[in-house]
Amino acid sequence: MTESVIVQNVSKRYKMYAKPSEKILDLVLPGGYGEDFFALRDVSFTASQGDVIGIIGVNGSGKSTLSNIISGVVPPTFGTVESVGQTSLIAIQSGLNNELTGRENIELKCLMLGFKKRDIKKLEPEIIEFADIGKFIDQPVKKYSSGMKSRLGFAISVTVNPDILVIDEALSVGDQTFADKCLNKMNQFKEAGKTIFFISHSIGQVKNFCAKALWLEYGEVRDYGTIEKVIPEYESFLSDFKKMTAKEKKAYKDEVLKKQSGFYLKPQST
Amino acid sequence: MKAVIQIIIEQINSFYLILRLSSFELKSENNNNYLGILWEVINPMIQIGIYWFVFGTIRGSHRMVDGVPFVQWLLAGIVVWFFVYQGILHGSKSVYTRIRMIAKMSFPMSAIPSFVIISKFYQHLILVGIIVIIFQFMGQFVSIHYIMLPYFMFATIALIFSFSLITSTLSTIIRDVQMVVQSLLRVLIYMTPILWTMEGVKGWVRDILVLNPLWYIVDGYRASLLGTSWYPVTHWHYTIYFWAVILVFMLIGSVVHVKFRDRFVDFL
Repeated sequence: MTESVIVQNVSKRYKMYAKPSEKILDLVLPGGYGEDFFALRDVSFTASQGDVIGIIGVNGSGKSTLSNIISGVVPPTFGTVESVGQTSLIAIQSGLNNELTGRENIELKCLMLGFKKRDIKKLEPEIIEFADIGKFIDQPVKKYSSGMKSRLGFAISVTVNPDILVIDEALSVGDQTFADKCLNKMNQFKEAGKTIFFISHSIGQVKNFCAKALWLEYGEVRDYGTIEKVIPEYESFLSDFKKMTAKEKKAYKDEVLKKQSGFYLKPQST
Repeated sequence: MKAVIQIIIEQINSFYLILRLSSFELKSENNNNYLGILWEVINPMIQIGIYWFVFGTIRGSHRMVDGVPFVQWLLAGIVVWFFVYQGILHGSKSVYTRIRMIAKMSFPMSAIPSFVIISKFYQHLILVGIIVIIFQFMGQFVSIHYIMLPYFMFATIALIFSFSLITSTLSTIIRDVQMVVQSLLRVLIYMTPILWTMEGVKGWVRDILVLNPLWYIVDGYRASLLGTSWYPVTHWHYTIYFWAVILVFMLIGSVVHVKFRDRFVDFL
């Protein structure tokens, strides 16, 4: 199988500033200023065509940061991401313009994705049919319910036929029938040999839908492999974590925080 | 220089995109009002009326400036001011207000200020049209000098774009820059002979004020609409100066834009 996404030693560093003036110092001083926070540290993995990869981990483990980096919204601080073909990110906040109607949003998004006028004419009815929001398509998006917004966002993202699809918790908003419709569509993508990253807190959904799992723990890859291997480990980690005493939990969190502020990380260059 | 060429190529390649996006921009800004896009014209017309009243009627009405009545002189100059004001103001904040939505799209970031500026240009065209109609009733008829108008419109867009390229990048990194731009614009209208004439200003003050490239544009609009001179030719040294300023703006703007554009999202 051909590789479609190669993530190599990706780290994402954010700066934490105590005051706005520190931000200026950080910009001006050559060495930078402010406390480091590593949302991702040295993440490497490879995905092949036809892979459906669930990204799991507790809150704050860097799932959304990783999905943003894979889809190219956010650049990595260190490391490289190579992807073959077009990437499409589907998130709850779908990036629609609230003042425009659904139909105008479709054209706007397609235009910005680089489609030609003719292609957009062809895509529009498909998107409208998939979104299935009836007369609301000609209403401004601000009047939509959150479900409708995510339906429209999802419909646009899947109809433009991306090669790599990143789904960030987006299915949790829609109702069961729409979720089924999406899962169907994604199964079609799977068969067509596209790569899908699926981020969800629902272990059930991940188990049903994904073949592989990437377990992130506080910005690092804890495990990457088949569902059968990773999910039981993750589940046992969760139950262990729940059993910890308050003191143990705190010790664990302190250790993690130290790691994330780059304590163990040797200085790297890009 | 490489950055400048890159930016210009991006503008040309995404020309259709810029036109479409600017029309969406216009729609989404005015969707909430019943009169919609009409407000883009009503607002400046009200302001023109006030300036006319204050600077024309109250302070001696029947003055002549360069052989034309003051009112016409005022109108021909102020019409471009609204475009410059709106263009720079919205162009400067264009990047940081839209970056969230646009980051994942496959189109050049340098098109963001341009489509915002072009959406303001439509308003400008309508305003110029209205002024031209008013002039017909005032006895200031369409003349051969009107063929300079497209040139000066292009020059205005070049000025706004090159300046916004700098400020849109800086204001994304440091939000305070937007405030600086706002106050600068308030000062600029009085630093340019739009509401007042240059007759009394001489010596070094004039030498400094003339460095303002907006002066060139305002005088150029007057020359075109009032048919007073072939301005770019008769003031050829000023023409060279103007385009040199644009080139410097473009150089600075392109370099900072290209340097920071990959990291715009991080600055939010």
